[in-house]
Amino acid sequence: MRTRAESVTSVPTYCYNCVAGPDLMTVTVEDGVATAIRPNFDAKEHPANGRVCVKAYGLIEKTYNPHRILTPMRRTNPNKGRGEDPGFVPITWDEALEAIAGRLNHVRATGLVDEAGLPRVAATFGHGGTPAAYMGTLPAWLAAWGPIDFSFGSGQGVKCVHSEHLYGEYWHRAFTVCADTVLTRYVISFGTNVEVSGGACAVYRHADARIRGIKRVQVEPHLSVTGAASAEWVPIKPKTDGAFLLALIHVLLHEIPRDRLDLPFLRDRTASPYLVGPNGYYLRDPDSGKPLLWDLGTGAAVPHDTPGADPALEGRFTVPHAVEHGPDETRWEHRGAEGRTAFTAMVEQMAQFSPEWAEGVCEVPASTVRRVAGEYVENACVGQTIDIDGQTLPFRPVAITLGKTVNNGWGAYECCWARTMMATLVGALEVPGGTLGTTIRLNRPHENRLASVKPGADGFMESKFNATDAEHWAAKPTGRNAHKTLVPIVGNSSWSQALGPTHLAWMFLRATPDGWPKPSYPDVWFLFRTNPAISFWDTRQMVENMARMPFVVAFAYTLDETNWMADILLPDATDLEGTQLIRVGGTKFVEQHWHHQGVALRQPAVAPRGDARDMTWIAGELAKRCGLLEDYNKALNRGAACVPLKGEAYDFSLDPKAEHSVEAIWDAECKAACAAFTGGAEAHGLDWFKEHGYFVVPFKRVDWYLYPTMVAKGLRFELPYQERLLRVGKELGTRLHDAGIRWWDDQLHEYTALPEWHDVPQRWENAVKAMGGEPADYPFWLITTKTMQYTTGNNAGIPLMNEVGRNVRDHGGVQINAATAAKLGIIDGDMVEVRSVTNATRGKAIVVQGLRPDTLVIHGQFDHWATPFAKELGFPSLNTVAPLSLDLTDSTGSGADVVKVSIRKIVPGMAGGAA
Amino acid sequence: MTRYVMVVDLRRCVGCQTCTAACKVTNATMPGVQWRRVVDMEVGTFPDVQRVFTPVGCQHCSDPPCMEVCPSTATGKRADGIVTIDYDLCIGCSYCMVACPYEARYKVDKPVWAFGDTPTEVEKRRYDPRMIGVAQKCTFCVDTIDDGVSKGLTPGVDPDATPACVNSCISGAMQFGDIEDPDSNVSKLLRENSHFRMHEEQGTNPGFYYLWDGARP
Amino acid sequence: MNIGTVPKLQRSWDLRAACNFIGGGTGAGLLLFAAVSAVLGWPWVAAALAALAFVGFGLSMVWLEIGKPLRAVNVFFHPQTSWMTREGIVALPLFVLTALSIVLALALPDADVLAAMTLELAAMVGLGFLYCQARILRAARGIRAWSEPALLPLTLASGLAEGAGVYLVLAGALGAMPPWALALGLVLCGARYAAWRRYRTRLSANGAPVASLAVLHGAEPLVVWPGHAVPAALLVLALAGVLPGVLGPLAGIAMAVAGWYVKVLIVLRAARSNGFAVVRTPVRGRGISKAGDRYGWHVPGR
Repeated sequence: MRTRAESVTSVPTYCYNCVAGPDLMTVTVEDGVATAIRPNFDAKEHPANGRVCVKAYGLIEKTYNPHRILTPMRRTNPNKGRGEDPGFVPITWDEALEAIAGRLNHVRATGLVDEAGLPRVAATFGHGGTPAAYMGTLPAWLAAWGPIDFSFGSGQGVKCVHSEHLYGEYWHRAFTVCADTVLTRYVISFGTNVEVSGGACAVYRHADARIRGIKRVQVEPHLSVTGAASAEWVPIKPKTDGAFLLALIHVLLHEIPRDRLDLPFLRDRTASPYLVGPNGYYLRDPDSGKPLLWDLGTGAAVPHDTPGADPALEGRFTVPHAVEHGPDETRWEHRGAEGRTAFTAMVEQMAQFSPEWAEGVCEVPASTVRRVAGEYVENACVGQTIDIDGQTLPFRPVAITLGKTVNNGWGAYECCWARTMMATLVGALEVPGGTLGTTIRLNRPHENRLASVKPGADGFMESKFNATDAEHWAAKPTGRNAHKTLVPIVGNSSWSQALGPTHLAWMFLRATPDGWPKPSYPDVWFLFRTNPAISFWDTRQMVENMARMPFVVAFAYTLDETNWMADILLPDATDLEGTQLIRVGGTKFVEQHWHHQGVALRQPAVAPRGDARDMTWIAGELAKRCGLLEDYNKALNRGAACVPLKGEAYDFSLDPKAEHSVEAIWDAECKAACAAFTGGAEAHGLDWFKEHGYFVVPFKRVDWYLYPTMVAKGLRFELPYQERLLRVGKELGTRLHDAGIRWWDDQLHEYTALPEWHDVPQRWENAVKAMGGEPADYPFWLITTKTMQYTTGNNAGIPLMNEVGRNVRDHGGVQINAATAAKLGIIDGDMVEVRSVTNATRGKAIVVQGLRPDTLVIHGQFDHWATPFAKELGFPSLNTVAPLSLDLTDSTGSGADVVKVSIRKIVPGMAGGAA
Repeated sequence: MTRYVMVVDLRRCVGCQTCTAACKVTNATMPGVQWRRVVDMEVGTFPDVQRVFTPVGCQHCSDPPCMEVCPSTATGKRADGIVTIDYDLCIGCSYCMVACPYEARYKVDKPVWAFGDTPTEVEKRRYDPRMIGVAQKCTFCVDTIDDGVSKGLTPGVDPDATPACVNSCISGAMQFGDIEDPDSNVSKLLRENSHFRMHEEQGTNPGFYYLWDGARP
Repeated sequence: MNIGTVPKLQRSWDLRAACNFIGGGTGAGLLLFAAVSAVLGWPWVAAALAALAFVGFGLSMVWLEIGKPLRAVNVFFHPQTSWMTREGIVALPLFVLTALSIVLALALPDADVLAAMTLELAAMVGLGFLYCQARILRAARGIRAWSEPALLPLTLASGLAEGAGVYLVLAGALGAMPPWALALGLVLCGARYAAWRRYRTRLSANGAPVASLAVLHGAEPLVVWPGHAVPAALLVLALAGVLPGVLGPLAGIAMAVAGWYVKVLIVLRAARSNGFAVVRTPVRGRGISKAGDRYGWHVPGR
């Protein structure tokens, strides 16, 4: 018989292992041992009814993993490298913290930044900001410290939906974009794997939508889980999604009657009527500098915000007097110049992208493209309205979503623009049923994207780009990835660095291009819930770089490939052991749309194992030992850990000079959060939260949509014409050229006012050549896919995930089309080698029908060699064979999970294993 | 009369294995034992392919071949349709395993642990030596049902009387309830949707229904 | 690839279980031959002893395979429907009667008629035992290669043919080769081949895992030639008077080994599960439903 429990409790907490969370759950604890995870059935306000995805069920094994680091450790082997055993030995917390503080204090004494202005302390966290939900008050310590380089990425830019983050937030405050799944009727999904990476909330919403009768067309090279759950699968050639999308726009603009589009939306809510001058910039009013449009009422060009104007959407008009504002201070004054509306400019630009043209690029029949475009318009319900919270809003139940790889690297700009334009053409942007943003990260306040909408120039929302003018351009990088220098659109918010071209930080450590100073290694590098040695590309080079980091502090769960290079390992209280309060509700990525908002508590369901310590305790100790206690407390009071501790109607501020216990800090956070949400009416403390788990107040449904805010503020979406990007690109080019930098020229070509098609797939073939290979030797496209068991979970060392993951065909091998496999003599289960120009990876063949014959798929991020359990799996990994390449980096600093490869069967016993 | 059945809406299921993991954690099954799992199948050939995720496990047949063959009477069927195993009677002959048309049964001859040779603290605590060397399979979380029913709760409606897989299902694909009750959730789903049962030709009258479309004429 | 859906080779029963069907079938067949010998006045004690050994060997292998050997007595609890219980129950009189007949024959030479009668009874029980074994496989609805009704006559015929084979070997060793045994062996050889062919045909016609059919198909040359054609030819020659004391045992070895081989094939290598299949694919949103495929399954007419 099983041990009979003397006491059984159910502890409410949250899971935020992936960006699709946070989700609410409970932990069953028997006599102090966490035995099971259950949904939080009381959490009726949670969009998935308190349910958590498969990853959360692995947290029991995660807690009791015998491979855990359970005491601070110090490296004894001064040599670092994959082949060097670190020789970690246990030390006390006091020794560990003193060693770290010693280094940090030395840095403070030397200077927080080096001679080049680069921070001497760097920090790398895992995916999508979720580590912040586990790092306690460490953000307050980071804020207290000063400049920190966050540019050593752990996959950002290549593993996220990077271009969507930047352009989405720019165009409609959409750091992530989703369909309004609860209302939409038709979705074209380009590689979005929302059924795998959308979390419990998205999975439930989409399941409901299927029963309701949605049609989702999945366009992707392989039949993913989401493809499976869609009404139709369109197998498209990798990295040609942009061509498909441009052809959809072509059909809408050139093949269907104009009145099927949402003309009022285009006229009033976009820059479609703005007149574009001969040099490609808006024709502006010479006095006010405002863009002009053609008023059909008066038959004259008037500033865009002229009351009572009846703007012409289409046409060419002669404007008596106007100016164009070009890059820098360039001004062209025109008299009698012809201007065409931005809409007309788009119509003309899109003329070339017929479905027949797209067929040649995408290998998708023109008839399919045409049919999909027709269905999209058919379902758009142009002209219909819906009542939401008493407001009448446009009802446009069509959406287009973009997945990773579609949304990264070359071709992503075209995809993002075309997707947003497709929504705009039928008025389906940020309205019920349409294409929505969920959250913001580049603008403030983070927790309220509607409040971030402020009037900017030219009738658009304000967007803070990094300066490109001669005076303010950051010629000297402030971080090792040079985000301020190279990527204007990423801005300079707290997230911008980590979003910048994070692979450049790694690449430049090895070698820098002409005219670029070689960056220093940071004196101290912190790691938390991340393993970039596995989760980035060219892992061999990554590891070599990491080995040169002079002092690495890793909050370590188990040994892994990155903390193998660490000098100090710190065991933090993990998911079920620590205390933290985080915000929940409202709208969050990936598609969490709540009817409530508030906060949820993570609490120690069980005592920390071994000598693991709460992150808040660790952060406090570091603050104290670095002499930063007061700044740290002040940062807490400002809200660095969750919410400001002092508001208009409440004050739970901590004494800045005193040390505070973990419980005292979170008690204050709990009370402040409740008070903040209730105008001071309620102030539940930590004990209340330990019992109830979360606190929420209603969140209006209408606030899911940006459109009402745009109307209320009289603003236009900055579409279709990208005048600002064009100007910024020209300015950036001038700055870089003046600085002697020519290696970013290719990226500069992406700054166009209207997308042009450049042969995107060809770039990968060119890259093969540039790396000394022969494209014909690498005939296959290798792409990657996710499974819910692993996506963004950093849980490759959890056996349960592998066990249940094996039930899914995507897991653990190299997927190959059945006909291709037959041609190559490969049968299911054969060991195969996938080789790129730079490296090779091996795994078992998974022979499938749902995959293009020219494409291979490797799931997730594996190829571990240090992480216990994971290193025994023998799984292949795309990251091993994907190069870090400037040629394959787009202007936003992003690259895509695509590699040209060959495949061969490994015959055991044969020399070299070759077949 | 009561007969508890599972109704799975294949239109909703995404093969995420949350039910698989929830079952494993709740029932503390050893590595390799999956009373509930979701199989991932393809239908058709490129490019005309579909992929179907199908939760499987003990179908709690009303004419269970496992019970018929069981020489020890360890396998039984309750009045409410739940097929059970008496671990103290079972001799571990595995006959039921080859008799089950649904690959639902498992036998573990010696303890296996997630991380190798030594059990973790939770595994140690939840280890049930009775389960070694005997047949095991999905119980529909019978203890939870009985406990819930004794408290006046309704299986399939109240989480505390409902199998863990159903409770955990994030797509809402899995529903559980009494098919003999015309007003139950499962009866309603079956009335309003098109469904089939797997390997029906085996004549076992399984208590596991798969919805594949709405009502069809 | 269809993860987990393709018919899977069963691992629940291994070679030990196959040995039970080998030992039980051969023993029961041998017992029948011993009984016929007794009726016709040929030596039978060695055959009866060997039969006992075969059955005993088979059952002990099963005992070694079960998870709870100390609870083996529970096997008798379900005679209402379980052919395994019935097998166990029938095994008891089989042992008792056979042993008794041997004891009678050895201890009381005058009571040879009583011994023979006891043996006849034991042989009838042995046939019952063989039938139980055949039904055990037939009732295993999880394994298509076993649940095929045509396996029943094959199991019966094979058990008898194996017994015949071993009897011929024993007779050769004892230097007394009864012509009726050669003739009966020939008949059983033919009967088993017919049952084998029918089994394969029916399995394919009723639908079965492709891999199971492939295994059986691949075994056909071995089953036909050394398994049946050669022993049949040898038996014909022996019946014609060509070295019956040599060719008979040689044929016997081939017949027995062929039966054992077929059992190992069916119990181990062709024993695949039903796999999983949907009748219809689900309608996702406004998608379409298709008839389900049954991967790895030979569907007749396709």
